Amino acid sequence: MLEVIDASFSYERMDVFKNINFRVNEGEIFCIVGPNGCGKTTLLDCLLGILRLKRGEILLNKRNIKTTSPGETAKQLAYVPQLHEKTFPYSVIDIVLMGRAAHIGLFSAPSSRDVAVAEEALELVGLTSFKDRPYTQLSGGEAQLVLLARALAQKTKMIIMDEPTAHLDFKNELTVLETIVQLVSKTGLSIIMATHFPNHAFYFENNSIDISVALMSRMTFSAVGSPSEILSEDNLKSIYSINAKVVSHRMDNDSELRQIIPISTVA
Amino acid sequence: MATRKKVFYILLILSPLAFIFLSLFVGRYPLSISSIVNILICKITANPCNLPDQYNSIVWEIRMPRAILGALVGGALAISGASFQGLFRNPLVSSGLLGVSSGAGFGAALAILLFSSTSYTYVFAFFFGGLAVLASYLIGRTYNTTPAIMLVLGGVIVSSVFSALISFAKYVADPYNQLPTIVYWLMGSLATARYHDIVIGGIPMAAGISGLIAIRWRINVLSMGDKEARSLGIDTVVNKGIVIACATLATAGAVCVSGIIGWVGLVMPHIGRMLVGNDNKVLIPASLSLGACFLIFVDNLGRLITGSEIPLGILTALVGGPFFVYLLKKTKGGGW
Repeated sequence: MLEVIDASFSYERMDVFKNINFRVNEGEIFCIVGPNGCGKTTLLDCLLGILRLKRGEILLNKRNIKTTSPGETAKQLAYVPQLHEKTFPYSVIDIVLMGRAAHIGLFSAPSSRDVAVAEEALELVGLTSFKDRPYTQLSGGEAQLVLLARALAQKTKMIIMDEPTAHLDFKNELTVLETIVQLVSKTGLSIIMATHFPNHAFYFENNSIDISVALMSRMTFSAVGSPSEILSEDNLKSIYSINAKVVSHRMDNDSELRQIIPISTVA
Repeated sequence: MATRKKVFYILLILSPLAFIFLSLFVGRYPLSISSIVNILICKITANPCNLPDQYNSIVWEIRMPRAILGALVGGALAISGASFQGLFRNPLVSSGLLGVSSGAGFGAALAILLFSSTSYTYVFAFFFGGLAVLASYLIGRTYNTTPAIMLVLGGVIVSSVFSALISFAKYVADPYNQLPTIVYWLMGSLATARYHDIVIGGIPMAAGISGLIAIRWRINVLSMGDKEARSLGIDTVVNKGIVIACATLATAGAVCVSGIIGWVGLVMPHIGRMLVGNDNKVLIPASLSLGACFLIFVDNLGRLITGSEIPLGILTALVGGPFFVYLLKKTKGGGW
């Protein structure tokens, strides 16, 4: 579905990343993990067509993203931002309806069909009863789910998420993760996400989702593969400069949930 | 729900018409209600009236064009203000944000200095109003994008340059003749409104207003910020350009026939937000209607209170301020 070939990007004279290659298939989660400032968000902006690569190509369904209009891109690729600054107290349904923008003409407003799609998306994230609540009064977790619903209303087969659980408490974090698992296993959605929590990758692996992890450091992907093989104590030490333990917990259903426990910084 | 919506839209259209109609009965010249009704009936049925011609022209040549122009100007300022608030993701901006008012003010002052005929005032005000916005836009344009903060900065710079130029024009103006004209123009008035004003200002205003009404839902999406709006499938440069062009046409059209009337473009959208919420699909037409009603109301008040008319720019703030506070307290701001 999405293929990135030898991608490089730089601002003026400062290189951000180079020689990145990967592909994401249908029904797969692709997790990009790496320290602050390693260029995760910049890479996502390139995938979305907001920034242009310096070199290399991004093919979305075999078509170069450079020559695809914002409207065309938005029909194939949706985006869930990090929690953003809220300005106007739009109602929740108004926010979700914005996901229909690519399907609505320049001088038109959402039709009753668009409203139906938006309501369906709200139902998928379990927030039907929030429809008429002001968006500004939601908690962080609820707002994140509303943004996810907005992306679902775009009716794309792929969603890009930038730190979907940043600033969320345990319960909200798990709600978001469970919703993602539901969507991926039920609808065959593909998800590309940048995250500061490598443990999420283990969570998805444990829920038998098709998942790859890419470790991003020193301006490129230093390793790509399944969470169990990539998220090793050695790799964590090398990209984050920390000593960490990877422990494993036997779950009730006899599966093993691995988790990373950060211990100390490397002197 | 569907019927409620219909009632709402009918109300939006009918209220300004009602205000226009009622304002025919308001003025310094004492005309009885029955004679005004007679005049109206005569016109509609195309029968000659047995009332003095003077009466007829007070109703049809003075009060009517003034009310229509008031509705257009108030509506144009309010709808542009509402659009800019959404576009710039800032509830504190008004239609003058990108310098259209100060540009137009300078244009008018320049025309008053250079020519004795007032017809140049329109042209100069409109031209310099548009020029100011274009300058702000070009300053705010970096690479191929138009980030809101850069546009605002451009607007601030251009506004202050034109404000300085207005002061300069006042400084060099003849203090007995030109200076009062400039000052009075800058305070805004509908006192000299005739049908030709409606034609001159009405064309750009109608064009701008229709454009904004057509694109109104997209302002919701634009208010999410450039990055999100683009990822939602919107070409932000094109869409912002259309909104700015339409709002500028509407505001410049209004300013060139009425002078600078503040407050309407900032506060009417807010009153709209309190009454109908923040969805621009509803808010934009509501602001149009509210602005139209408000300006007719204030204009009528202005010509009733004193024999020498109080300029509109003064009254809009004096009347609008307390009303705004009242609504703010009553609706608790509506979700801010």
